[in-house]
Amino acid sequence: MEMRLGYSDSAGPEKVKFWPVYLCFLIFGIIAPFSKPEFNLTTLLLSLFVSLLVGALMVNLLIMLFNAGNSDLRQASSQFAREAVSTGMLFMIPFAILAILAQFILGWNAVMPFASAAIMTTAATAGTEVMKKGAPGIKNVLIPTTLAFVLSTGWMMLIGILP
Amino acid sequence: MNTMAPTAVPRWKTALNMIINPGEVVKNQMTKFPWPYSLMISGLSFSLFFLQTGLDLMRTGQIEIASVILMTLLGLIYGTAGIALLAVLVWALSQAAERNITMEWTVSSFALGYSPTFVYALTGLIFSLAFGWRTAVAFWVTGLLWALRPTLFTIKQMSGERVGFSIAMTTLCGAILLSGWALLGKFGL
Repeated sequence: MEMRLGYSDSAGPEKVKFWPVYLCFLIFGIIAPFSKPEFNLTTLLLSLFVSLLVGALMVNLLIMLFNAGNSDLRQASSQFAREAVSTGMLFMIPFAILAILAQFILGWNAVMPFASAAIMTTAATAGTEVMKKGAPGIKNVLIPTTLAFVLSTGWMMLIGILP
Repeated sequence: MNTMAPTAVPRWKTALNMIINPGEVVKNQMTKFPWPYSLMISGLSFSLFFLQTGLDLMRTGQIEIASVILMTLLGLIYGTAGIALLAVLVWALSQAAERNITMEWTVSSFALGYSPTFVYALTGLIFSLAFGWRTAVAFWVTGLLWALRPTLFTIKQMSGERVGFSIAMTTLCGAILLSGWALLGKFGL
């Protein structure tokens, strides 16, 4: 029998993909400078850096929180938190596409409400994914939403002070 | 003998749950929720937002009070007939009938998904009337975006948990609603 050390279930690490999530953060990072009165390269680079940083923090803090709060699930499947976060945060895609529509077709300078709503709702969705795997309690939805609220506020403030 | 009858969840609680945990509501509570109540929530949400849009335009002297009333009525139509049509479109595209999902269930679930929008609509109206703020874009966009999560869970349930399809359909619904509102603004109604 084939053994996969470090993984208690059949789903290996290759099944958990985060690139669509980071791509969405990247899209928000690209759009944000266009809502400024003048577009410049420095703002774009800083915006990309801030957005990817928020993305990395969001993904990793959520995984940490889910792992810390659901030890029973973690014992049953070491990958449950990564799977829940990657599936839940996949739902950033509609928000990213709608932000492109709003900025470049409808001409609204309102990218950050899209980004903020995206991470708050998808953090809650990741929590729902954890609950679907058998975790009890609404804490798995409320704590990620609170974390997302804090991160999105910080993200908006940083984008706001960019040159 | 079991004398304990299952307690019915109050409708306001179901509407509130749709904001916090739409997955659970869509799976277990929607069969008991009548579609006219759901349409009342989406209808009120949209009419309150269109009222705010009208008030914003009236404050800048672009329209008169009669146009504000007309816009509010248009919002009511958009939030009831428009949402019902959108729900039926997604119902047909997702072939939900094959999974024994009725059109009534779909309309009800879609419309109740605008519970978070209703909360934003009420808050926006309070700020608009009390402080004279121009609330339409900020509160409407945010309110509409928060409705995407219940929409997504509804479409997931209808499509047999097809994630890619659900994401594509949710994006389409959001794009139709945002563009429709923007078009009305362009016509200067």
